[in-house]
Amino acid sequence: MSEVEFGTVKDATVVTDTLVAGGPEETPARRGPLKQDTGGAEAARRRKNLINLTRPWLLLAPSLVVLAGLLLWPLIQVGKLSLQDYAVKFGGGVGTYTGFDHYSDLLSSSLLWKTVLPNTVFFALACVGLTVALGTLVALLLNRLGATWRLICSIAILAAWAMPAVTGTYVWIWLFQPQDGMVSQIAGSIGLIDPETTNWFTERGPFYAIATLNVIHHGFPFVAITVLAGLMTIPKELYEAGELDGANAWQRFWNITVPTIKPVFLVVTILSTIWDFKVFTQIYLQPGGDGSNEEVYNLGVFSYIQAFAKNDYGAGAAAAVLLTLLLLLITIVYIRTLFRQGEEDL
Amino acid sequence: MTTAKLQARPAPRPTAASGRRTSLASRVGLPVAVIALLVFTLFPVYWMISTALDPKAISRGSDVLPSGISFEHFTFVFEKGNFGTYLLNSALVGLATIVAAALLSLFAAIAVARFKFRFRTSVLIMILIVQMVPLEALVIPLFIQMRDYELLNSLLGLSIVYIALSLPFAIWTLRGFVATIPKEVEEAAYIDGASWFRMFRSVLLPLVGPGLVATSIFAFITAWNEFVFAYTFMKGSDKYTAAVGIYQFFGENSTSWGPVMASSTLVTVPVMIFFVIVHRKLGSGLAAGAVKG
Repeated sequence: MSEVEFGTVKDATVVTDTLVAGGPEETPARRGPLKQDTGGAEAARRRKNLINLTRPWLLLAPSLVVLAGLLLWPLIQVGKLSLQDYAVKFGGGVGTYTGFDHYSDLLSSSLLWKTVLPNTVFFALACVGLTVALGTLVALLLNRLGATWRLICSIAILAAWAMPAVTGTYVWIWLFQPQDGMVSQIAGSIGLIDPETTNWFTERGPFYAIATLNVIHHGFPFVAITVLAGLMTIPKELYEAGELDGANAWQRFWNITVPTIKPVFLVVTILSTIWDFKVFTQIYLQPGGDGSNEEVYNLGVFSYIQAFAKNDYGAGAAAAVLLTLLLLLITIVYIRTLFRQGEEDL
Repeated sequence: MTTAKLQARPAPRPTAASGRRTSLASRVGLPVAVIALLVFTLFPVYWMISTALDPKAISRGSDVLPSGISFEHFTFVFEKGNFGTYLLNSALVGLATIVAAALLSLFAAIAVARFKFRFRTSVLIMILIVQMVPLEALVIPLFIQMRDYELLNSLLGLSIVYIALSLPFAIWTLRGFVATIPKEVEEAAYIDGASWFRMFRSVLLPLVGPGLVATSIFAFITAWNEFVFAYTFMKGSDKYTAAVGIYQFFGENSTSWGPVMASSTLVTVPVMIFFVIVHRKLGSGLAAGAVKG
């Protein structure tokens, strides 16, 4: 796995103004010898300039059209929709503007403050903390293993990473299924629960504990592989010096490893935060997660159910905008971090 | 790193006591940690496959080994559950996605990696930002848009959405691959009198090929795994994708876990194989892209 290139570490100390530097250079005319007479050369240069000016945009155009039409335009639409009451009539929908009603309804609802936001935030925080902690521990473990065992463990980790969210969720539901599931049976047989009456999916604590386990299982491989790539760039001499100074493993980790690859930790933490705030499938597919149990709503599920189950597209859109703004905030932090590190050579 | 086989780095000045302690801790601790890691990562996969093969899946309880091996659940999902159609739908949508996404992202990646132009940085930042947009925010307006264009319940409409979803990551990753190709190679082609398109076809394309394959496979996985859009857009049961098709085996009160796990296995195993193959090639891109769904 050592091929994993990770720019963050190498360039951590190089703070370049990436907005200006680092891009491909404008190349002077390089295609064949220029004609000798000056008029022809002038025309050729102008043509060259025109090509240099238009070609990147021609190459970008199809992608930009797709991204604008299917990602940016819908974002504008969802903003517009959040200011409307949208009703489905014959042959199409009709929207009537209601101003910021949906937002004031949303922000004054106790469901949002007592259930939806706490679920979203605490779930995300738990997932991020545990994912990063476990991922780091696994990276440290992999770093100490020999080649063979490291390969075996890496493949196992990739298998967990590759497990689709949908099927992974079904497996966890099956493991925790009331009565028949493996965990329920084991817990029942050692007397922890009464398997006849216990349903872990009806209360939000256990419900989210299972979802957290699911998300960690799916999410820690990314952290482990990325942190491992960072660990392998740390010079061994640093640890040897630390050992000579009498630092124990715990001190070496906090005083050598963490400061050296701090940028890696930043990136994996922020990316995990972005992902864990918008977890949808893993919640929606769990029993009760599809709207029948208000207790377990998170922001994404809440928005989806308002729109598609309750046909209140405006309110759903308002919740979606709230989620988007939240994520945009984290994303801005993320991009600033990338730039400050000079990791991305834009 | 290759010399250490399941053993800790020896301390340079081990006192007798501490030396024995580290070696004891690592001799016991490392294998235990490895076993715990393997169990945690692989047990759900094992449980899925073994339940799919267990003829008495429901009453399996906590038996680690299945009560027998049979393919009856697989036969059931294909014959009664119409799962072959769903797998085909998923494959079609995935193929449409990779063809379009590979082509578009290659052009765009060349533009941002090889040309310097105004707003280049803005384009790149926009690409970074759009991958963070939550799908729940897109699904509402896109549902309305697609309904207006009568593209709901159509594999084409779904493919179009997936192309857009997989583009940002594909551009971001391919940009890295294009940037690693030395400029001199291109210039050599120009000196030999090649036009830009000739150079593209004979020089850039072959060199960026492996990256393109890896990125395409990733686009395929994105489309194959996606749930929200497929679930919202596809209401006719013959148009389900595989990820949505599993849902039908859930009953109101009881769930037939054999078929659910059999169809989950059919969805999961190809993805795992592909993922292990392409992962090494995508290393650095994975760190920058939103790849987790």
